[in-house]
Amino acid sequence: MREQLTGSQILCRALLEEGVDVLFGYPGGAIMPFYHALPEYPELRHVLVRHEQAAAHAADGYARASGRPGVCVATSGPGATNLVTGIATAHMDNTPLVAITGQVPRAMIGRDAFQETDIIGITQPITKHNRLVEDVEELAEAVHEVFTVAREGRPGPVLLDVPKDVQNQKLEYAGGANGSARGATGRREGLIGRPTPTALVEAARLIARAERPLIMAGHGVILSDAYDELRTLAEHTGVPVITTLLGISAFPESHPLHLGMPGMHGEVHVNRAIQQADLIIGIGLRFDDRVTGNLAAFARGAKVIHIELDASEVGKNVPVAVGLVGDARAILRELLEALEPRHCDAWRAEIATFVRPRFESFKGELSAEGILGAVEDASHGRCTVVSDVGQHQMWVAKLFRYQRPNTHITSGGLGTMGFAVPAAMGVVMARPGEPVWAISGDGGFQMNMQEIATMVQERIPVKMAIFNNGYLGMVRQWQQFFHGRRYSSTPIWSPDYVRLAEAYGIPGWRVERGDQVEAALRGALDHDGPALIEFLIEQEANVFPMIPPGASLSEPIESEAVTA
Amino acid sequence: MTVTRAVTVLLEDRLITFTRAVGLLRRRNLPVRSLAVGPTVTPGISRLTIMIQSDEATAERAVQQLQKVVGVRAAAAFPARDGVSRELALVKVRATGERYGELLDVVQLYHASVVDDSPEAIIVELTGSEAFVLSCIRALERFEVLEVARSGAVALELGLTDAGARVPANT
Repeated sequence: MREQLTGSQILCRALLEEGVDVLFGYPGGAIMPFYHALPEYPELRHVLVRHEQAAAHAADGYARASGRPGVCVATSGPGATNLVTGIATAHMDNTPLVAITGQVPRAMIGRDAFQETDIIGITQPITKHNRLVEDVEELAEAVHEVFTVAREGRPGPVLLDVPKDVQNQKLEYAGGANGSARGATGRREGLIGRPTPTALVEAARLIARAERPLIMAGHGVILSDAYDELRTLAEHTGVPVITTLLGISAFPESHPLHLGMPGMHGEVHVNRAIQQADLIIGIGLRFDDRVTGNLAAFARGAKVIHIELDASEVGKNVPVAVGLVGDARAILRELLEALEPRHCDAWRAEIATFVRPRFESFKGELSAEGILGAVEDASHGRCTVVSDVGQHQMWVAKLFRYQRPNTHITSGGLGTMGFAVPAAMGVVMARPGEPVWAISGDGGFQMNMQEIATMVQERIPVKMAIFNNGYLGMVRQWQQFFHGRRYSSTPIWSPDYVRLAEAYGIPGWRVERGDQVEAALRGALDHDGPALIEFLIEQEANVFPMIPPGASLSEPIESEAVTA
Repeated sequence: MTVTRAVTVLLEDRLITFTRAVGLLRRRNLPVRSLAVGPTVTPGISRLTIMIQSDEATAERAVQQLQKVVGVRAAAAFPARDGVSRELALVKVRATGERYGELLDVVQLYHASVVDDSPEAIIVELTGSEAFVLSCIRALERFEVLEVARSGAVALELGLTDAGARVPANT
C-alpha cells in the first residue's frame, strides 16, 4: 500500500524533487501545517528571516547566484503581501523565484476571513504565473508546474497559494509521477524559438559590413550562460562590448574590448559610441529607458540586431533591423559560424578619443573609487558584490572591475532599496565559502537591517558595507540638479552602526579616513561570520556623468560646474 | 497604420486565466474597443475576442504577450477588414400606440427582429458589424430607447486560417 501523506508532506517532497535545498520564510497561522511537516525533511534547510520582504529578496539573491529557483515561504494576509516588493523585483529582473503562501481554508475564501488576502489577484501582474491549489490531488503537479514556469524560457517569479486545509488533506502519494506539469509546459517550449536561417544570414551580413558596430550585452547573457560565446564573438569580430547594469560581469572588464556601462550614468565615451554607431548588436536586454535616454534621439545612425529570448521584447522600445528570437548562447554560436574574422581597429581608436577624464566628485581621501578598489584588493577579486539602489549602486557598477561571470548582483529594473542586505544572504547560501559583500547606502541599509539577526541566528557570513553620507544621496543629487537644491526629506539620520553591530554580537568598524579602510576590510573578511563596516563618505558627492531624465545620450552632465 | 484589429485568443475557460489575459491588456495599456468571451467546440476552452484600435506592431506585441500567459493556448491578430466581425445587440424601446407602426418599419429596414413584444416595451434584436449596430441603435433613438445590451464583437479571419493552429511567429 502506498503511503498516506498530508498536503504539507507532499509539498515538502515535491520541493525536494525540484532540487530545493533552502527555503527563506516566516511561519504564521495559514502556513502552520507546512511548518509542522518541515522538520521531517531536514534536507530542506529553512532560514527564518525577520520580515517576509527579506525572504523574497534572499530567495531572489539565491536564484541569481545559483541559476536555480529560489524559494520563499510566507503565511496568508500580511505575510503574503510583505513578499510583494520582492516578487516585483524578481519580475522586473527575470529571476526564477518561487513564492509559497499559506491561504485561509477553502471554505473561508472570499469571506474576508482573518488574515485572508487575494494574493493571487495582487501578484497577477508581477508574476509569470500564479496558482491557487484547490485540492491536494493537484498539489504536487502544481508545484512542478510553477517551478517549470519559473525556470523555463525567460525566467520569472511564480506564486503558489496553498489553503490551510489543503495542507492538512491526506492523499496516497505516488511521488514525482503525480507531477507532470499540466499542458502549459509543452506548448511553451515552442515559445523558445529559433531564428530563421535568413535572419541569421542577414545579421551576419550587417555585422560584416558595419564600420562602427557595438555589442550591448544585458542580463540575458548571464541568464543563458553565454559568457564564452559573447567573448568569442567579440574577439572574432573585434566589436567592442558594452554591458548594461544587469549585464555587468557578463564580460571581463580587463578585456581590451570592454567599454563600460551605457545610459543615464554611463560613461561619456560609451554613450557617445552608441550615438555614433552604425550597428548595435543587443544581446538579452530590453532597451530600458535608463539605457536609451530619449528614445527618439537614441542611436539614430544605427541599425539594431536584437538577440532576445522573448519575442514580445523585439521592437518594443527600439526599431529593429533583425530580430533573432531564441536562446542567446545558441544564437551566438550559430552567428559565429556565419561570421568571418574581422577587426574594428579604426572604430576602436575613434572611441578611444571619446574617453573623458573621470570627474572626481569626492574632495577628500575617502572616495568611492578608493573604497571599492580596496574591497576588490582585499577580496583578491574573488567575491560577489550585491548592491542596493542609489548613488553607491552606480559607483559599485562602474568602479569595481568585474572579472568573473555573474559576480555583480543588483535590483536593476525595479530599483528596490533594501535589496542588498537580504539578497546577499541568498547569495551566500548559493556560494558558500566565497566572500559576499552587501553594499548599501545609509537609506537602503536601514530598510532591511533587521536581517542582521537572521545572519547571526543562521550563521550567514554576509560582509556589509554602508556608504553613509547622511542623505538619500541619489534623490538629493536630483534635488541639487533639477529641484534648485531644495533638499526636501533627504537628510537621513543613522544610528551608531558600530554599536548596532555590537548589539547583534557582530564586529563593526567605522571608517572615516583613507588609512582606516584596509584594516577594516581585513578585519571583516577575516572574521568567520557576518561583519559590518560603515564608511562615512562625503555628504554631497555626486555620480557623474548623468544624463538628465528625458534627455538624449548626447547630453551628459559631466561635473559640478553646470550645477544651477 | 491605426485601424480596427481583432485579437482572438483561445484560452482555458477558467476565470483566473481570463483575468490574467484581460489584466495583461490593462497593464500593457492597449486601446481596447470591445471584449467578447464565450465557449468553443473544444470542452474547457473559451474564445476571447478583443477589438483594438492600433497599428500592426502593437497588435502583434499584444499577441506575443498573450501567448506567454499560462492557460492561453493560442492567440492571433488581423485587421478587421480582413475578416468578418459581428456583434449582437438587444435594444429595449418604449412602444407607444401611435408610433408602433413606425417603429416596426425601422426594425424591418435594418433586418432586425422583435424578440419580445410586451405591452409597454419591445425588445429588438440586431446583428451586424459594429458600424451597422451603431447606426441601427441611432435609428431606434428616434423612439424612446430604454436599455441597450451589446455583446462586443466576435470575429473570424477570411480564408484558411485557424487561430488554434497558428504557431507563434519567430522573426
